[in-house]
Amino acid sequence: MSRAATLSDAELVRACRAGDPEAWNELVERYSRYVYAIAVRGFRLADEDAEDVFQDVFTRIYTRLDSLRDDDALRPWIAQLTRRRCLDALASRGRETAVDEEGLGPEESADLAEVEEAFVVREALAGLSETCQDMLDRFFTRDQSYKTIADELAIPSGTIASRIARCLGRLKQALEPES
Amino acid sequence: MSLSDRYSGTSQQSRKDAEPTVDSCCLTTDDYRGISLGALLDRISADGLAPGGGSASALTVAFAARLVAMVARCSPEWDDAGGVLAQANAIGERAVDLAHTDGRAWDDALVALRDAEVAADDDPRRSFALEQKLEAAASAPLEIASLGADVAALAAAVGERCDATYRADAAAAAALAAGGAAAAAHLVRVNLGIRGSDPRLARALESEQMARELADGLLETT
Repeated sequence: MSRAATLSDAELVRACRAGDPEAWNELVERYSRYVYAIAVRGFRLADEDAEDVFQDVFTRIYTRLDSLRDDDALRPWIAQLTRRRCLDALASRGRETAVDEEGLGPEESADLAEVEEAFVVREALAGLSETCQDMLDRFFTRDQSYKTIADELAIPSGTIASRIARCLGRLKQALEPES
Repeated sequence: MSLSDRYSGTSQQSRKDAEPTVDSCCLTTDDYRGISLGALLDRISADGLAPGGGSASALTVAFAARLVAMVARCSPEWDDAGGVLAQANAIGERAVDLAHTDGRAWDDALVALRDAEVAADDDPRRSFALEQKLEAAASAPLEIASLGADVAALAAAVGERCDATYRADAAAAAALAAGGAAAAAHLVRVNLGIRGSDPRLARALESEQMARELADGLLETT
C-alpha cells in the first residue's frame, strides 16, 4: 500500500495541491470507479459517453481543485461534477428538454443512491484488517464456499462462518459508530 | 432417474403426442422469483422440462438458508446474529440463482440429447456439443451440494447459540440443507454417469457428508 493510499480525503487534497504526483495517482485510483459507476449505473450512459465524462471530470478536478472550499468534501464535490457532466451528456444526446437531477426517474435515482452507498461501504471495508477484507471479498464477492475459504487460508472450516460474522460486525461498527 | 432415462421418458411421451418442441412447451424455465409458490409447484410437478431435481434441491437449500436467517434474526442477544443473518441471506440468493442455472442447463442438455437422438449419427461436433451441455448440467448440482453444506454449517452455528425457542427451526434448516445437498450430490453422481475417480464426485460426496453430519448432530441434541 502506498503512502498516499493511507491519507484521508482532506490530506489527499492538500498533497495534490502541493503537487505530489503520488497523491494525484491515488486520487484517480480512489475515485475512478466511483465516477464511472455514477455515469454508467446512475445515468445509464453508453461506454463511449461515460469515457468522455470520466476524462472531463478528472480534467476539471485537476484544474479546479483549488476552488474546493472544504477539503473534507472531496467526494460530494466529485459527485456533483460528475452528475453535471452526465446531465450535459444526456442533453447533448438528443433529449429535447433540458435535463436536471429532479428529472431523473425513480430507478435512476435509486441507482445513484446505490452507487453512493457502495462507495461508503468500500471506504469502510478499506478500514478493516486485510484478513477481514479478504474473507468478506471471498464470501460475498467471489461466492466462495466455507470449505474453499478454509482450504485456501488454512483455517478450520468450522470457524469460517463465525469469523465472517465478526468481520461484518466490525464493518457495521465502522459504518454506524453509534450502534 | 438419469438424464438419459428422463429424456427417454419425455421422448416416449412426445411420440404419443404431437412431438411438442421445447420452445413451445409451457414449462420452459422462467424467473422462479417472479411466479407464485403455487405456480412454481405446478411447474415442478408437471410433465416437462425444468425445474427438475436440481432446481428443487437448490430451492430446498434456499428454504433452509432463509430459515437460518429467521432464527438469527430472532436471536438479538447473540453478537454474531447479524453477521450470520447476512451470510444466510446471501447463500439463499445464490441457491435461487443456481435453481435458475440448473434449470437452463437441464433444458439445454435435454435439447442436445434430443438432437443427438434425432440425428442418430456420429458427428463429432454434435458429440462434443452434447458433452459440453452435460458438463454444464453437472456443475450446478455440484455447487448446490456445496451450498447445502454451508447452510448446514450455519444452521449448526445458529443452533448452538440462538434463542431456545427457535432451536428446532435451526435443526429443521440443517435437515433441509442436508437433504438438498444429498439430492444434488446424487444428481452429480447419477445423471452424468461420471467415474468414481472424478474429483467432482468426491467434492459432491464430501459436501453431502459434511451436511449430513452437521444435521445429524443438531437433530440429536434438539
